[in-house]
Amino acid sequence: MKTPDQTLAPPRDGKATGRPKPSLRARLLLMMAVVGPGIITANVDNDAGGITTYSVAGAHYGYSLLWMLGLVALALIIIQEMSARLGVVTGKGLADLIRERMGIRATLAIVGVLLIANLANTVSEFAGVAASMEIFGISKFISVPVVAVGVWLLIVKGSYKFVERIFLVASALYLTYGVSGVMANPPWMEVLQASVTPTFHFDSNYIIIVVTIIGTTIAPWMQFYQQASIVDKGLRVEDYAYERLDVIIGSVFAVVIAAFITIACAATLFKHGLRIETAKDAALGLGPLAGSNAAALFALGLLNASVFSAAILPLSTAYVVCEALGWEAGVNRNLKEAPVFFGVYTALIVLGAGIILLPIKSLIQAMLASQTLNGVLLPVILIAMLVLINDRELMGDYVNGRVFNIISWAMVVVLIGLTALLVITSVFPNFLT
Amino acid sequence: MHLLSQLLGRPVRGETNVPLGTLDDLVIRMEEGPYPSVTGLVVRAGRRRFFVPANQLRELSGVALLSSARVDLKQFQRREDEVLLGRDVLDHQIIDIAGHRVVRVNDIQITQVDASFRVVGVDTSLKAIVRRAGPRALADRIIGGQIIDWANLHYLAGTAPVRLKVSYDRLADLHPVDLARIVDALSLRESATIVAALDDETVAETLEEVSDSRLADLIEGMDQERAADILEEMDPGVAADVLEDLDETVAEQLLAKMEPEDAAEIQTVLAYDEDSVGRIMITEIVRVAEGSTVGAALALLRSLDEVPNPLLAIYVVAQDQPETLQGIVRLRSLILADPATPLQELMDEDMPTIHPDEPAEQAARLLAEYNLLAIPVIDEHEHLVGVVTVDDALAVLMPEIWQRRSSRMFH
Repeated sequence: MKTPDQTLAPPRDGKATGRPKPSLRARLLLMMAVVGPGIITANVDNDAGGITTYSVAGAHYGYSLLWMLGLVALALIIIQEMSARLGVVTGKGLADLIRERMGIRATLAIVGVLLIANLANTVSEFAGVAASMEIFGISKFISVPVVAVGVWLLIVKGSYKFVERIFLVASALYLTYGVSGVMANPPWMEVLQASVTPTFHFDSNYIIIVVTIIGTTIAPWMQFYQQASIVDKGLRVEDYAYERLDVIIGSVFAVVIAAFITIACAATLFKHGLRIETAKDAALGLGPLAGSNAAALFALGLLNASVFSAAILPLSTAYVVCEALGWEAGVNRNLKEAPVFFGVYTALIVLGAGIILLPIKSLIQAMLASQTLNGVLLPVILIAMLVLINDRELMGDYVNGRVFNIISWAMVVVLIGLTALLVITSVFPNFLT
Repeated sequence: MHLLSQLLGRPVRGETNVPLGTLDDLVIRMEEGPYPSVTGLVVRAGRRRFFVPANQLRELSGVALLSSARVDLKQFQRREDEVLLGRDVLDHQIIDIAGHRVVRVNDIQITQVDASFRVVGVDTSLKAIVRRAGPRALADRIIGGQIIDWANLHYLAGTAPVRLKVSYDRLADLHPVDLARIVDALSLRESATIVAALDDETVAETLEEVSDSRLADLIEGMDQERAADILEEMDPGVAADVLEDLDETVAEQLLAKMEPEDAAEIQTVLAYDEDSVGRIMITEIVRVAEGSTVGAALALLRSLDEVPNPLLAIYVVAQDQPETLQGIVRLRSLILADPATPLQELMDEDMPTIHPDEPAEQAARLLAEYNLLAIPVIDEHEHLVGVVTVDDALAVLMPEIWQRRSSRMFH
């Protein structure tokens, strides 16, 4: 195992202790080691709520919402880049930083917001489980409890790491939308034109879908999750350039998939004036690729995404709550050592699954509503991140530049504006028209 | 007794009750004894923050009362080794040494001792959170919760944005299992700071108990010379497990930096499968040539530089062939026998043995079945290569202990 050629090599630039400049291979290896948190987070992002939202956006609004996705991608990159920068510079999780720099009241408010958003998301994941299994004719009263218990055991018994890779590989099922979108043979000129032509309507359904798209693509849990993975991997400022690349690739990938889901559904459902009422309707978006197997393929993809996120979200939430309030956390602790950790984790799964078992008229509506809530809550997290990243004592020279700040604060203003519009148009449907 | 959360933001008045501003923070020095004293106040008046030395502070209840009305209004500048209680301690993580856990500081207790004010404890309870976040009327009804004595706390050096000298003696005295628990609970960066401050042996013992992924991250993140030194101190079986978790090139570089003897030992172990007997056996055993007496064997044991731990038996081997096992003499027989007795008389020749490629569980089963404390490991060349002790086998039989050490999850 000795490498004699290395020991014989003369010391570079006369300094025997100096770190040699990494070779191309070493740099590639480093990049592979670093590339991860951003791409994985983006992958989890296309969960039940995401797939449903993009399908509905395509089926009900055709290509007319595509222009938004470019802006959403930009916003996603900006936000996830800040989370990555906070992580590599401070070595601390987002909840940690909020507690240390912003005090107890802000912490409680933000943890509260995240608990609500993530409960809604967990509900939507179980709605995804129920919807996908209904395609196979399995009642939600069987599928939801089985998956809830399964997911709980998977994490608590510590076998999650092993299954994670299977989930990740199975995520490639999203790519079928890309193929399907192409095979549907949409009018590409029209698609392209719609992608660059902003349109906007002041009716409440339209504003809801806009907020929902933003909320599902830039969900509040993502920043906590990504930053935690970065900190856990021990990435440092030196790795920042690679990590930023990881974030950009992940974000672009997530949004391209979103665009293809929208296109596939627009080219099939919207063209024929069909509306999505159940998961089976959404499956028709895969028709051009899978034909009569579309429903099965869609169900498998949705099930995988739902179970994957149903495992991660409650766990990530439990970590955030404990991290912020100073309780012990970790699956390698026992119930007595970490009661709050297991309590939050279990409660989210039980509530998330339980709510779906209530008589709910439309699972699709349940999934959409949870994503709208994400969008409404997002500005709170965003403001906290902006406060932290501009804290010079914390970030040193890595604070935001001026342009970056202007864009970020503009984003906050737009998001709050949209939420306000959403409330106004919901309460007074004819207020603006 | 004062609580920091109830002091911050309260008015600061000078000698004749002149209002000077509000209390922004308290400054302490870490190095002074078990209970650091408050060295000064940071007072806010409008946009200005200025420093008032503690010797001007007369009273701290409700309002902070100064002994003079004259203060230096120069903008406050933090000096090296100065820690701000509100900014750098409150709401931050701290190690509860006696409880072996990482807790968050929800409030800080300050007491007047003679003329000075000292930090005496930290409140980590939920009550303190409610007291601080809830309405004042509610807050006044909730008094203390879990107060941890400051002397039992370890302040994390990386928390304050200044360079701090922090003593790690009390952490180093912890049992490795307890210290490992703390290392696992902290963020990777904080745990690396602690590992960097402790000596090789303590680190090796601690890391043997840390979760696999944290261990790999820590080893990969540290200086390679140091990593090699620590691996040398570890049990070869554990070191082999660590190296397997690392990037292959890094593992090779580390092996090359280790003492050739230690590296060779680890490479021998690495040749065996994970979860095999070869991985859990210990290779440090005492071999005595046949024909020796009890007295000679005891003299040999006493002359050893390093005596295996645990020492359960000595292994009688053929003259000139230390690989060939003739039999074992248990420590109990050895101590009770007359020094002149030949070892042959005490020797057990008919004991079960095990091959290094067998699953570790098999060794555990044999130990339990035959009521043994150790079982010799004999390879295909009939060579004695090590022993599996009941200690090592226990870890195999108790999977929950292994689970603790297994994966540390992402957040």
